Amino acid sequence: MTDAPFIEIEDLYFSRGDHEIFRGINMTIPRGKVTAIMGPSGTGKTTLLKLIGGQLTPERGRIVIDGQDVHRLSRKALFTLRKRMGMLFQSGALFSDLDVFENVAFPLRVHTDLPDTMVRDLVLLKLQAVGLRGARHLTPAELSGGMARRVALARAVALDPELILYDEPFVGQDPISMGVLVQLIKRLNQALQLTSVVVSHDIKETLSIADYLYLIADGQVVAHGTPQTLDTNQDPRVSQFIHGEPDGPVPFHYPAEAFYRDILGEPPMTKTG
Amino acid sequence: MQSKFSNGTARITRLGRRGCDLMEALGRAGVFLFQSAVGVPSREGWRLWLHQMHFVGVLSLAIVLVSGLFIGMVLALQGYTILVDFGAEQALGQMVALSLLRELAPVVAALLFAGRAGSALTAEIGLMKATEQLTSMEMIGVDPLRRVVAPRLWAGFVSLPILTVGFSVVGIWGGYLVGVEWLGVFEGSYWSNMQANVAFVSDIGNGMIKSAVFALVVTWIAVFQGYDLVPTSEGISRATTRTVVYSSLAVLGLDFVLTAVMFGGL
Repeated sequence: MTDAPFIEIEDLYFSRGDHEIFRGINMTIPRGKVTAIMGPSGTGKTTLLKLIGGQLTPERGRIVIDGQDVHRLSRKALFTLRKRMGMLFQSGALFSDLDVFENVAFPLRVHTDLPDTMVRDLVLLKLQAVGLRGARHLTPAELSGGMARRVALARAVALDPELILYDEPFVGQDPISMGVLVQLIKRLNQALQLTSVVVSHDIKETLSIADYLYLIADGQVVAHGTPQTLDTNQDPRVSQFIHGEPDGPVPFHYPAEAFYRDILGEPPMTKTG
Repeated sequence: MQSKFSNGTARITRLGRRGCDLMEALGRAGVFLFQSAVGVPSREGWRLWLHQMHFVGVLSLAIVLVSGLFIGMVLALQGYTILVDFGAEQALGQMVALSLLRELAPVVAALLFAGRAGSALTAEIGLMKATEQLTSMEMIGVDPLRRVVAPRLWAGFVSLPILTVGFSVVGIWGGYLVGVEWLGVFEGSYWSNMQANVAFVSDIGNGMIKSAVFALVVTWIAVFQGYDLVPTSEGISRATTRTVVYSSLAVLGLDFVLTAVMFGGL
Protein backbone atom coordinates (compact mmCIF):
# COMPACT_ATOMS: atom_id res chain seq x y z
CA MET A 1 0.00 0.00 0.00
CA THR A 2 2.82 2.39 0.83
CA ASP A 3 4.25 1.79 -2.63
CA ALA A 4 1.12 3.16 -4.28
CA PRO A 5 1.72 6.58 -5.81
CA PHE A 6 0.63 9.53 -3.68
CA ILE A 7 -0.83 11.57 -6.51
CA GLU A 8 -2.18 10.34 -9.82
CA ILE A 9 -3.11 12.76 -12.56
CA GLU A 10 -5.10 11.21 -15.36
CA ASP A 11 -5.86 12.77 -18.73
CA LEU A 12 -6.12 16.32 -17.39
CA TYR A 13 -7.59 19.08 -19.55
CA PHE A 14 -7.77 22.70 -18.48
CA SER A 15 -8.13 26.02 -20.29
CA ARG A 16 -8.58 29.66 -19.43
CA GLY A 17 -10.96 31.29 -21.85
CA ASP A 18 -9.87 30.23 -25.33
CA HIS A 19 -6.33 29.47 -24.19
CA GLU A 20 -5.76 25.76 -23.71
CA ILE A 21 -3.30 25.21 -20.86
CA PHE A 22 -3.32 21.43 -20.45
CA ARG A 23 -4.24 18.95 -23.13
CA GLY A 24 -4.29 15.52 -21.60
CA ILE A 25 -1.63 15.41 -18.91
CA ASN A 26 -0.80 12.15 -17.15
CA MET A 27 1.50 12.02 -14.15
CA THR A 28 2.28 9.74 -11.28
CA ILE A 29 3.86 11.25 -8.21
CA PRO A 30 5.55 8.67 -5.99
CA ARG A 31 5.23 8.67 -2.23
CA GLY A 32 8.10 9.98 -0.13
CA LYS A 33 10.07 11.33 -3.08
CA VAL A 34 10.85 14.76 -4.53
CA THR A 35 9.15 15.09 -7.89
CA ALA A 36 9.92 18.15 -9.98
CA ILE A 37 7.63 19.58 -12.62
CA MET A 38 9.55 21.78 -15.00
CA GLY A 39 8.82 23.74 -18.10
CA PRO A 40 9.19 27.18 -19.65
CA SER A 41 7.33 30.05 -17.96
CA GLY A 42 3.71 30.32 -18.95
CA THR A 43 3.18 26.58 -19.36
CA GLY A 44 0.83 26.49 -16.41
CA LYS A 45 3.01 24.96 -13.73
CA THR A 46 1.42 27.05 -10.98
CA THR A 47 -2.00 26.26 -12.44
CA LEU A 48 -1.18 22.57 -12.08
CA LEU A 49 -0.43 23.05 -8.36
CA LYS A 50 -3.74 24.89 -7.95
CA LEU A 51 -5.49 21.99 -9.67
CA ILE A 52 -3.80 19.55 -7.28
CA GLY A 53 -4.83 21.72 -4.31
CA GLY A 54 -8.42 21.74 -5.57
CA GLN A 55 -8.58 25.49 -6.08
CA LEU A 56 -9.27 25.09 -9.77
CA THR A 57 -11.44 22.48 -11.42
CA PRO A 58 -10.27 20.71 -14.57
CA GLU A 59 -12.50 20.40 -17.62
CA ARG A 60 -11.71 16.74 -18.01
CA GLY A 61 -9.65 14.12 -16.26
CA ARG A 62 -9.04 13.65 -12.59
CA ILE A 63 -6.51 14.09 -9.84
CA VAL A 64 -6.40 11.44 -7.15
CA ILE A 65 -4.51 12.15 -3.94
CA ASP A 66 -3.98 9.13 -1.72
CA GLY A 67 -7.10 7.47 -3.09
CA GLN A 68 -9.36 10.56 -3.01
CA ASP A 69 -10.56 12.27 -6.17
CA VAL A 70 -9.86 15.93 -5.30
CA HIS A 71 -12.59 17.43 -7.47
CA ARG A 72 -15.34 15.13 -6.27
CA LEU A 73 -14.91 15.95 -2.61
CA SER A 74 -17.35 18.15 -0.72
CA ARG A 75 -16.07 21.57 0.40
CA LYS A 76 -15.62 20.21 3.91
CA ALA A 77 -13.81 17.05 2.84
CA LEU A 78 -11.57 19.14 0.59
CA PHE A 79 -10.58 21.37 3.51
CA THR A 80 -9.85 18.24 5.58
CA LEU A 81 -7.66 16.88 2.80
CA ARG A 82 -5.83 20.20 2.62
CA LYS A 83 -4.79 19.85 6.25
CA ARG A 84 -2.56 17.02 5.02
CA MET A 85 -0.92 19.26 2.44
CA GLY A 86 1.37 22.24 2.74
CA MET A 87 1.97 24.69 -0.04
CA LEU A 88 4.84 27.12 -0.41
CA PHE A 89 3.77 30.08 -2.53
CA GLN A 90 6.09 31.96 -4.80
CA SER A 91 5.45 35.19 -2.89
CA GLY A 92 5.45 33.49 0.50
CA ALA A 93 1.86 34.71 0.97
CA LEU A 94 2.38 35.41 4.66
CA PHE A 95 -0.54 37.03 6.46
CA SER A 96 0.42 40.68 6.63
CA ASP A 97 -1.54 41.39 9.82
CA LEU A 98 0.32 38.73 11.84
CA ASP A 99 3.99 38.62 12.87
CA VAL A 100 6.35 35.77 11.99
CA PHE A 101 5.52 33.75 15.11
CA GLU A 102 1.75 34.03 14.61
CA ASN A 103 2.05 33.19 10.93
CA VAL A 104 3.69 29.88 11.77
CA ALA A 105 1.30 29.32 14.68
CA PHE A 106 -1.75 29.97 12.50
CA PRO A 107 -2.33 26.40 11.21
CA LEU A 108 -1.77 25.02 14.73
CA ARG A 109 -4.22 27.45 16.29
CA VAL A 110 -6.99 26.81 13.79
CA HIS A 111 -6.65 23.05 13.50
CA THR A 112 -5.57 21.88 16.95
CA ASP A 113 -6.55 22.52 20.56
CA LEU A 114 -2.98 22.48 21.81
CA PRO A 115 -2.22 24.65 24.84
CA ASP A 116 -0.32 27.88 24.22
CA THR A 117 2.94 26.60 25.70
CA MET A 118 2.98 23.66 23.30
CA VAL A 119 2.10 25.85 20.32
CA ARG A 120 5.02 28.07 21.32
CA ASP A 121 7.44 25.13 21.47
CA LEU A 122 6.27 23.73 18.13
CA VAL A 123 6.52 27.12 16.41
CA LEU A 124 10.02 27.69 17.77
CA LEU A 125 11.05 24.20 16.57
CA LYS A 126 9.80 24.96 13.06
CA LEU A 127 11.44 28.38 13.06
CA GLN A 128 14.68 26.84 14.30
CA ALA A 129 14.57 24.41 11.38
CA VAL A 130 14.50 27.30 8.89
CA GLY A 131 17.00 29.31 10.93
CA LEU A 132 14.66 32.16 11.83
CA ARG A 133 13.93 31.58 15.51
CA GLY A 134 15.44 35.00 16.20
CA ALA A 135 13.08 36.69 13.73
CA ARG A 136 9.89 35.62 15.44
CA HIS A 137 8.79 39.15 16.35
CA LEU A 138 9.30 40.69 12.92
CA THR A 139 6.34 41.48 10.69
CA PRO A 140 6.22 40.14 7.10
CA ALA A 141 6.96 43.66 5.81
CA GLU A 142 10.30 43.61 7.64
CA LEU A 143 11.50 40.35 6.03
CA SER A 144 13.60 39.98 2.90
CA GLY A 145 12.21 37.83 0.09
CA GLY A 146 14.33 34.85 1.10
CA MET A 147 13.38 35.12 4.76
CA ALA A 148 9.69 35.41 3.88
CA ARG A 149 9.92 32.21 1.88
CA ARG A 150 11.62 30.42 4.77
CA VAL A 151 8.93 31.57 7.19
CA ALA A 152 6.33 30.39 4.69
CA LEU A 153 8.11 27.04 4.58
CA ALA A 154 7.99 26.80 8.38
CA ARG A 155 4.26 27.58 8.21
CA ALA A 156 3.70 25.02 5.45
CA VAL A 157 5.21 22.24 7.60
CA ALA A 158 3.64 23.41 10.89
CA LEU A 159 1.04 20.63 10.83
CA ASP A 160 3.56 18.02 9.63
CA PRO A 161 1.83 17.46 6.28
CA GLU A 162 2.30 14.39 4.14
CA LEU A 163 2.53 16.35 0.92
CA ILE A 164 4.17 19.66 0.26
CA LEU A 165 3.82 21.66 -2.94
CA TYR A 166 6.55 24.15 -3.78
CA ASP A 167 5.67 26.87 -6.26
CA GLU A 168 8.88 28.23 -7.82
CA PRO A 169 10.85 28.08 -4.56
CA PHE A 170 14.08 29.41 -6.10
CA VAL A 171 12.82 32.37 -8.10
CA GLY A 172 14.50 35.68 -7.27
CA GLN A 173 16.77 34.31 -4.52
CA ASP A 174 20.40 35.26 -4.05
CA PRO A 175 22.88 32.34 -4.28
CA ILE A 176 23.08 31.96 -0.49
CA SER A 177 19.37 31.74 0.23
CA MET A 178 19.01 29.57 -2.89
CA GLY A 179 21.50 27.14 -1.34
CA VAL A 180 19.70 27.33 2.01
CA LEU A 181 16.34 26.56 0.37
CA VAL A 182 17.72 23.64 -1.66
CA GLN A 183 19.16 22.16 1.49
CA LEU A 184 15.97 22.76 3.48
CA ILE A 185 13.74 21.08 0.92
CA LYS A 186 16.05 18.08 0.75
CA ARG A 187 16.39 17.81 4.51
CA LEU A 188 12.68 18.22 5.19
CA ASN A 189 11.88 15.54 2.68
CA GLN A 190 14.26 13.07 4.26
CA ALA A 191 13.51 13.90 7.89
CA LEU A 192 9.71 13.96 7.63
CA GLN A 193 9.23 11.33 4.88
CA LEU A 194 7.29 13.90 2.89
CA THR A 195 6.10 13.65 -0.64
CA SER A 196 7.32 16.82 -2.33
CA VAL A 197 6.27 18.38 -5.60
CA VAL A 198 8.56 21.14 -6.80
CA VAL A 199 7.46 23.36 -9.64
CA SER A 200 10.42 25.25 -11.03
CA HIS A 201 12.42 26.32 -14.01
CA ASP A 202 15.73 26.63 -12.18
CA ILE A 203 17.40 23.64 -13.76
CA LYS A 204 20.58 23.23 -11.74
CA GLU A 205 18.90 23.48 -8.33
CA THR A 206 15.96 21.32 -9.29
CA LEU A 207 18.09 18.59 -10.82
CA SER A 208 20.12 18.47 -7.62
CA ILE A 209 17.17 17.63 -5.38
CA ALA A 210 14.64 15.85 -7.60
CA ASP A 211 14.24 12.10 -7.66
CA TYR A 212 12.01 12.24 -10.70
CA LEU A 213 11.23 14.92 -13.26
CA TYR A 214 8.36 15.83 -15.54
CA LEU A 215 8.91 18.33 -18.30
CA ILE A 216 5.81 20.03 -19.64
CA ALA A 217 5.45 22.23 -22.69
CA ASP A 218 2.53 23.11 -24.96
CA GLY A 219 0.05 21.67 -22.49
CA GLN A 220 1.55 18.17 -22.53
CA VAL A 221 4.20 16.15 -20.78
CA VAL A 222 7.06 16.10 -23.27
CA ALA A 223 9.46 14.01 -21.22
CA HIS A 224 9.83 12.40 -17.85
CA GLY A 225 12.45 10.41 -16.04
CA THR A 226 15.22 10.66 -13.52
CA PRO A 227 17.60 13.66 -13.74
CA GLN A 228 20.24 11.46 -15.42
CA THR A 229 17.97 10.21 -18.19
CA LEU A 230 16.66 13.71 -18.94
CA ASP A 231 20.15 15.14 -19.10
CA THR A 232 21.01 12.79 -21.95
CA ASN A 233 17.60 12.99 -23.65
CA GLN A 234 17.95 13.72 -27.38
CA ASP A 235 14.51 15.30 -27.91
CA PRO A 236 15.27 18.86 -29.13
CA ARG A 237 12.59 20.39 -26.87
CA VAL A 238 14.04 18.66 -23.83
CA SER A 239 17.63 19.47 -24.59
CA GLN A 240 16.75 23.10 -25.38
CA PHE A 241 15.20 23.48 -21.96
CA ILE A 242 17.71 21.47 -19.95
CA HIS A 243 20.70 23.17 -21.56
CA GLY A 244 19.13 26.61 -21.63
CA GLU A 245 19.38 27.40 -25.35
CA PRO A 246 17.61 30.67 -26.19
CA ASP A 247 15.94 29.58 -29.41
CA GLY A 248 14.84 26.24 -30.69
CA PRO A 249 11.58 24.32 -30.91
CA VAL A 250 10.29 26.54 -28.07
CA PRO A 251 10.45 29.86 -29.91
CA PHE A 252 11.98 33.02 -28.45
CA HIS A 253 9.39 35.19 -30.21
CA TYR A 254 5.77 35.46 -29.21
CA PRO A 255 3.68 34.77 -32.35
CA ALA A 256 3.53 37.93 -34.47
CA GLU A 257 3.17 38.99 -38.07
CA ALA A 258 6.30 39.17 -40.21
CA PHE A 259 8.87 41.55 -38.73
CA TYR A 260 9.49 43.43 -42.01
CA ARG A 261 5.83 44.11 -42.59
CA ASP A 262 5.32 45.17 -38.95
CA ILE A 263 8.09 47.78 -39.10
CA LEU A 264 7.81 49.08 -42.67
CA GLY A 265 4.20 48.41 -43.54
CA GLU A 266 3.41 46.97 -47.00
CA PRO A 267 6.24 45.06 -48.67
CA PRO A 268 7.98 47.06 -51.46
CA MET A 269 6.72 46.57 -55.00
CA THR A 270 9.28 44.80 -57.07
CA LYS A 271 9.85 46.64 -60.30
CA THR A 272 10.59 44.75 -63.40
CA GLY A 273 12.44 46.08 -66.38
CA MET B 1 -28.56 46.19 -45.76
CA GLN B 2 -26.92 42.97 -44.75
CA SER B 3 -24.32 44.74 -42.57
CA LYS B 4 -26.98 46.88 -40.90
CA PHE B 5 -28.85 43.73 -40.00
CA SER B 6 -25.78 41.98 -38.64
CA ASN B 7 -24.81 45.15 -36.72
CA GLY B 8 -28.19 45.06 -35.06
CA THR B 9 -27.88 41.39 -34.09
CA ALA B 10 -24.37 41.98 -32.81
CA ARG B 11 -25.68 44.75 -30.61
CA ILE B 12 -28.48 42.56 -29.29
CA THR B 13 -25.98 39.74 -28.69
CA ARG B 14 -23.77 42.12 -26.76
CA LEU B 15 -26.69 43.38 -24.72
CA GLY B 16 -27.75 39.82 -23.96
CA ARG B 17 -24.26 38.83 -22.94
CA ARG B 18 -24.01 41.83 -20.66
CA GLY B 19 -27.34 40.88 -19.11
CA CYS B 20 -26.12 37.32 -18.55
CA ASP B 21 -22.88 38.59 -17.00
CA LEU B 22 -24.83 40.86 -14.69
CA MET B 23 -27.15 38.05 -13.61
CA GLU B 24 -24.19 35.74 -13.06
CA ALA B 25 -22.41 38.37 -10.92
CA LEU B 26 -25.57 38.90 -8.87
CA GLY B 27 -25.89 35.16 -8.35
CA ARG B 28 -22.25 34.92 -7.32
CA ALA B 29 -22.71 37.81 -4.90
CA GLY B 30 -25.79 36.13 -3.42
CA VAL B 31 -24.05 32.79 -2.86
CA PHE B 32 -21.07 34.69 -1.46
CA LEU B 33 -23.29 36.55 1.03
CA PHE B 34 -25.00 33.35 2.10
CA GLN B 35 -21.79 31.38 2.55
CA SER B 36 -20.10 34.07 4.59
CA ALA B 37 -22.99 35.33 6.72
CA VAL B 38 -24.65 32.05 7.68
CA GLY B 39 -23.18 30.01 10.50
CA VAL B 40 -22.41 30.27 14.17
CA PRO B 41 -19.21 32.18 14.90
CA SER B 42 -16.56 30.46 17.00
CA ARG B 43 -14.83 32.16 19.93
CA GLU B 44 -12.11 33.17 17.52
CA GLY B 45 -14.84 34.53 15.23
CA TRP B 46 -16.06 36.87 17.98
CA ARG B 47 -12.53 38.13 18.54
CA LEU B 48 -12.08 38.84 14.83
CA TRP B 49 -15.46 40.55 14.74
CA LEU B 50 -14.51 42.82 17.64
CA HIS B 51 -11.28 43.69 15.91
CA GLN B 52 -13.21 44.66 12.77
CA MET B 53 -15.74 46.64 14.80
CA HIS B 54 -12.81 48.78 15.85
CA PHE B 55 -11.51 49.06 12.31
CA VAL B 56 -14.74 49.82 10.45
CA GLY B 57 -16.79 51.29 13.31
CA VAL B 58 -14.68 53.14 15.85
CA LEU B 59 -12.28 54.54 13.27
CA SER B 60 -15.21 55.91 11.23
CA LEU B 61 -16.56 57.71 14.29
CA ALA B 62 -14.63 60.94 13.82
CA ILE B 63 -15.68 61.63 10.22
CA VAL B 64 -19.30 60.67 10.91
CA LEU B 65 -19.63 62.81 14.05
CA VAL B 66 -17.96 65.88 12.57
CA SER B 67 -20.14 65.65 9.47
CA GLY B 68 -23.22 65.22 11.67
CA LEU B 69 -22.35 68.35 13.61
CA PHE B 70 -21.98 70.49 10.49
CA ILE B 71 -25.09 69.11 8.85
CA GLY B 72 -27.15 69.83 11.98
CA MET B 73 -25.76 73.37 12.11
CA VAL B 74 -26.48 74.04 8.43
CA LEU B 75 -30.00 72.59 8.78
CA ALA B 76 -30.75 74.92 11.68
CA LEU B 77 -29.38 77.92 9.85
CA GLN B 78 -31.27 77.26 6.63
CA GLY B 79 -34.41 76.21 8.47
CA TYR B 80 -34.39 79.31 10.63
CA THR B 81 -34.17 81.75 7.71
CA ILE B 82 -37.26 80.15 6.13
CA LEU B 83 -39.29 79.50 9.28
CA VAL B 84 -38.72 82.98 10.67
CA ASP B 85 -40.56 84.50 7.68
CA PHE B 86 -43.68 82.65 8.83
CA GLY B 87 -43.00 83.32 12.50
CA ALA B 88 -42.62 79.58 12.95
CA GLU B 89 -39.04 79.44 14.22
CA GLN B 90 -40.36 77.62 17.30
CA ALA B 91 -40.69 74.53 15.07
CA LEU B 92 -36.96 74.52 14.36
CA GLY B 93 -36.19 71.64 16.75
CA GLN B 94 -38.82 69.44 15.17
CA MET B 95 -37.62 70.25 11.66
CA VAL B 96 -33.98 69.51 12.45
CA ALA B 97 -34.78 66.28 14.28
CA LEU B 98 -37.17 64.89 11.66
CA SER B 99 -34.87 65.72 8.74
CA LEU B 100 -31.99 64.04 10.47
CA LEU B 101 -33.74 60.97 11.83
CA ARG B 102 -35.77 60.17 8.74
CA GLU B 103 -33.36 61.06 5.96
CA LEU B 104 -30.08 62.76 6.46
CA ALA B 105 -28.53 60.64 9.19
CA PRO B 106 -29.09 57.23 7.54
CA VAL B 107 -28.20 58.45 4.04
CA VAL B 108 -25.23 60.70 4.77
CA ALA B 109 -23.75 58.31 7.34
CA ALA B 110 -24.04 55.47 4.80
CA LEU B 111 -22.37 57.55 2.09
CA LEU B 112 -19.54 58.52 4.43
CA PHE B 113 -19.26 54.92 5.58
CA ALA B 114 -18.97 53.72 1.98
CA GLY B 115 -16.17 56.20 1.38
CA ARG B 116 -14.31 55.66 4.63
CA ALA B 117 -14.84 51.99 5.55
CA GLY B 118 -16.23 50.39 2.38
CA SER B 119 -13.32 51.42 0.16
CA ALA B 120 -10.85 50.31 2.85
CA LEU B 121 -12.52 46.88 3.11
CA THR B 122 -12.39 46.39 -0.67
CA ALA B 123 -8.75 47.42 -0.88
CA GLU B 124 -7.75 45.28 2.11
CA ILE B 125 -9.46 42.10 0.92
CA GLY B 126 -8.30 42.80 -2.64
CA LEU B 127 -4.70 43.13 -1.58
CA MET B 128 -4.98 39.93 0.44
CA LYS B 129 -6.20 38.25 -2.73
CA ALA B 130 -3.47 39.79 -4.90
CA THR B 131 -0.73 38.66 -2.50
CA GLU B 132 -2.19 35.12 -2.41
CA GLN B 133 -3.03 35.38 1.30
CA LEU B 134 -6.58 34.16 0.64
CA THR B 135 -5.29 31.26 -1.48
CA SER B 136 -2.74 30.27 1.14
CA MET B 137 -5.44 30.40 3.81
CA GLU B 138 -7.52 28.01 1.70
CA MET B 139 -4.55 25.70 1.33
CA ILE B 140 -4.03 25.70 5.09
CA GLY B 141 -7.60 24.44 5.26
CA VAL B 142 -9.25 27.62 6.53
CA ASP B 143 -12.21 29.06 4.62
CA PRO B 144 -11.45 32.74 3.92
CA LEU B 145 -15.18 33.45 3.66
CA ARG B 146 -15.56 32.55 7.33
CA ARG B 147 -12.25 33.89 8.53
CA VAL B 148 -11.82 37.11 6.52
CA VAL B 149 -15.16 38.06 5.02
CA ALA B 150 -17.69 37.15 7.72
CA PRO B 151 -16.21 39.28 10.55
CA ARG B 152 -16.00 42.30 8.24
CA LEU B 153 -19.51 41.82 6.93
CA TRP B 154 -21.01 41.58 10.40
CA ALA B 155 -18.92 44.44 11.75
CA GLY B 156 -20.17 46.72 8.97
CA PHE B 157 -23.75 45.58 9.44
CA VAL B 158 -23.68 46.33 13.18
CA SER B 159 -21.57 49.47 13.23
CA LEU B 160 -23.33 51.62 10.62
CA PRO B 161 -26.66 51.82 12.51
CA ILE B 162 -24.73 52.79 15.66
CA LEU B 163 -22.84 55.44 13.71
CA THR B 164 -26.17 56.70 12.38
CA VAL B 165 -27.47 57.18 15.92
CA GLY B 166 -24.32 59.15 16.73
CA PHE B 167 -24.80 61.24 13.59
CA SER B 168 -28.39 62.14 14.60
CA VAL B 169 -27.49 62.98 18.19
CA VAL B 170 -24.60 65.23 17.25
CA GLY B 171 -26.64 66.80 14.43
CA ILE B 172 -29.48 67.70 16.79
CA TRP B 173 -26.95 69.19 19.17
CA GLY B 174 -25.42 71.19 16.27
CA GLY B 175 -28.89 72.47 15.42
CA TYR B 176 -29.30 73.51 19.05
CA LEU B 177 -25.98 75.40 19.01
CA VAL B 178 -26.94 77.44 15.96
CA GLY B 179 -30.67 77.76 16.56
CA VAL B 180 -30.80 78.38 20.29
CA GLU B 181 -27.36 79.62 21.29
CA TRP B 182 -26.68 81.77 18.25
CA LEU B 183 -29.98 82.74 16.59
CA GLY B 184 -31.97 82.96 19.81
CA VAL B 185 -34.77 80.42 19.31
CA PHE B 186 -36.42 79.73 22.69
CA GLU B 187 -34.74 76.68 24.19
CA GLY B 188 -37.95 75.26 25.67
CA SER B 189 -39.75 75.23 22.35
CA TYR B 190 -36.73 73.72 20.50
CA TRP B 191 -36.81 70.64 22.74
CA SER B 192 -40.53 70.36 23.54
CA ASN B 193 -41.64 70.68 19.90
CA MET B 194 -39.14 68.00 19.04
CA GLN B 195 -40.39 65.74 21.81
CA ALA B 196 -44.03 66.24 20.83
CA ASN B 197 -43.58 65.60 17.11
CA VAL B 198 -40.99 62.85 16.82
CA ALA B 199 -42.58 59.40 17.03
CA PHE B 200 -40.37 56.57 18.23
CA VAL B 201 -41.52 53.87 15.84
CA SER B 202 -42.38 55.76 12.68
CA ASP B 203 -39.50 58.24 12.77
CA ILE B 204 -36.65 56.76 14.78
CA GLY B 205 -37.58 53.15 14.00
CA ASN B 206 -37.93 53.70 10.26
CA GLY B 207 -34.67 55.62 10.19
CA MET B 208 -32.94 52.70 11.86
CA ILE B 209 -34.46 50.22 9.42
CA LYS B 210 -33.12 52.34 6.57
CA SER B 211 -29.74 52.41 8.21
CA ALA B 212 -29.67 48.63 8.68
CA VAL B 213 -30.57 48.10 5.01
CA PHE B 214 -27.86 50.53 3.88
CA ALA B 215 -25.37 48.87 6.23
CA LEU B 216 -26.00 45.46 4.68
CA VAL B 217 -25.87 46.73 1.12
CA VAL B 218 -22.76 48.88 1.51
CA THR B 219 -20.77 46.24 3.39
CA TRP B 220 -21.91 43.50 1.04
CA ILE B 221 -20.83 45.49 -2.01
CA ALA B 222 -17.49 46.36 -0.36
CA VAL B 223 -16.48 42.83 0.67
CA PHE B 224 -17.76 41.25 -2.54
CA GLN B 225 -15.91 43.73 -4.74
CA GLY B 226 -12.75 42.97 -2.77
CA TYR B 227 -13.18 39.21 -2.98
CA ASP B 228 -14.20 39.13 -6.64
CA LEU B 229 -11.69 41.58 -8.12
CA VAL B 230 -8.99 40.92 -10.69
CA PRO B 231 -5.86 40.61 -8.51
CA THR B 232 -3.72 43.34 -10.10
CA SER B 233 -3.06 46.92 -9.01
CA GLU B 234 -5.44 48.16 -11.69
CA GLY B 235 -8.05 45.64 -10.57
CA ILE B 236 -7.82 46.85 -6.97
CA SER B 237 -8.19 50.50 -7.94
CA ARG B 238 -11.17 49.73 -10.17
CA ALA B 239 -12.85 47.64 -7.49
CA THR B 240 -12.36 50.36 -4.86
CA THR B 241 -13.93 52.92 -7.18
CA ARG B 242 -16.78 50.53 -7.95
CA THR B 243 -17.43 50.04 -4.24
CA VAL B 244 -17.90 53.76 -3.66
CA VAL B 245 -19.93 54.34 -6.84
CA TYR B 246 -22.22 51.30 -6.51
CA SER B 247 -22.72 51.83 -2.77
CA SER B 248 -23.61 55.48 -3.19
CA LEU B 249 -26.07 54.79 -5.99
CA ALA B 250 -27.58 51.84 -4.12
CA VAL B 251 -28.01 53.93 -0.96
CA LEU B 252 -29.68 56.83 -2.78
CA GLY B 253 -31.90 54.58 -4.88
CA LEU B 254 -32.94 52.40 -1.96
CA ASP B 255 -33.57 55.51 0.12
CA PHE B 256 -36.19 56.63 -2.37
CA VAL B 257 -37.84 53.20 -2.39
CA LEU B 258 -37.81 52.90 1.40
CA THR B 259 -39.10 56.45 1.88
CA ALA B 260 -41.93 55.78 -0.56
CA VAL B 261 -42.91 52.66 1.38
CA MET B 262 -42.47 54.16 4.86
CA PHE B 263 -43.68 57.73 4.50
CA GLY B 264 -45.25 57.94 1.02
CA GLY B 265 -48.40 56.05 1.99
CA LEU B 266 -47.69 53.19 -0.43
